[in-house]
Amino acid sequence: MSDETNIAVADDPALPGTPEQRAAEAAHGMSAIPSSALPMLPGEVRPHPSPFQYVMIAVILCVITGLEVGMYYLTDSIPRALYVAILLSMALTKFVTVVSWYMHLRSDRPIFRRLFIVGGCGALTLYMAVLATLHVFE
Amino acid sequence: MAQATAPVPLHDAGPEDHPVAHGHADTNTGTTNTKLAMWIFLSSECIFFGAFISTYLLYRGRSPKTTPQPKDVYNIPFTSVTSFILLMSSLTMVLALAAIQRGDHRRFRIWIVATALFGVTFIGGQIYEFTEFYREGLALKTSVFGSSFFVLTGLHGLHVTVGIIWLLTLWGLSMQHRLGVKDAERVEIAGLYWHFVDIVWIVIFTVIYLIP
Repeated sequence: MSDETNIAVADDPALPGTPEQRAAEAAHGMSAIPSSALPMLPGEVRPHPSPFQYVMIAVILCVITGLEVGMYYLTDSIPRALYVAILLSMALTKFVTVVSWYMHLRSDRPIFRRLFIVGGCGALTLYMAVLATLHVFE
Repeated sequence: MAQATAPVPLHDAGPEDHPVAHGHADTNTGTTNTKLAMWIFLSSECIFFGAFISTYLLYRGRSPKTTPQPKDVYNIPFTSVTSFILLMSSLTMVLALAAIQRGDHRRFRIWIVATALFGVTFIGGQIYEFTEFYREGLALKTSVFGSSFFVLTGLHGLHVTVGIIWLLTLWGLSMQHRLGVKDAERVEIAGLYWHFVDIVWIVIFTVIYLIP
């Protein structure tokens, strides 16, 4: 974006944020304007994370994925039960992180969280029972 | 009733942009029916994918030893890269949502196309992987491992493909100036679907690929 456009955006009193924030947003993008200054979406109780927070979450997810892949090469070095437990813990951490931050369950109305927990836990219970009945874990 | 202050879009504001959303819809649940319906759909999808993951676990290790086994065909470094790509697509998806909420249509288009391209790359990787497996002698009818693996990952790939078409539709609408700040919820709902596809892959990658 050109400098002229940046100045025009910064000077427009109808836009959200302070003129300094708007100028920074126009020049650098990302999160110069706080999420709390933005309109809330239907079902949103608290403001969504800022773009910077989204990037930080992605970094965390990448690190966990890297650890998971690293763990794969330790298959023969550690007990199988421990290996499986660590991998499932890391997968669960990634799952909860994406659902909470990217799907906004931590900042949206509780009804969404309840619906998803009912479906997820219901499926988990159902299929664990089926697999246990068929002696898959023995 | 007090009116919520509705900030105005930031960049490239056009006729598609109106003051928006206030976090509360005029329904009994306080949210829109479309968003509620999407969450109910995703909840049911947990049961859908759970069935196929369970089937894979049930048949694991029961294929004839003469047919290709998981450890013979899996290419973990390659699948790790495609998993990483899908993970990154979730980041670009939320950045697209943040951009449309700010009225920044230029960045929205960039992020939404980037998300779709990541998805296309993932599907390309899956096609390559399927082709390699077939060359190594593992087909849909070869064994119960082949059947359960191809059906599970194929159905996931089908979901990703539907997501790509959805994202490109949003991009097309934006290019025609038919997607404004007021439509941010439509982007959010598409994003919910996309993130769900991502979390299903998180489970598949760990349970199917990494746990021998």
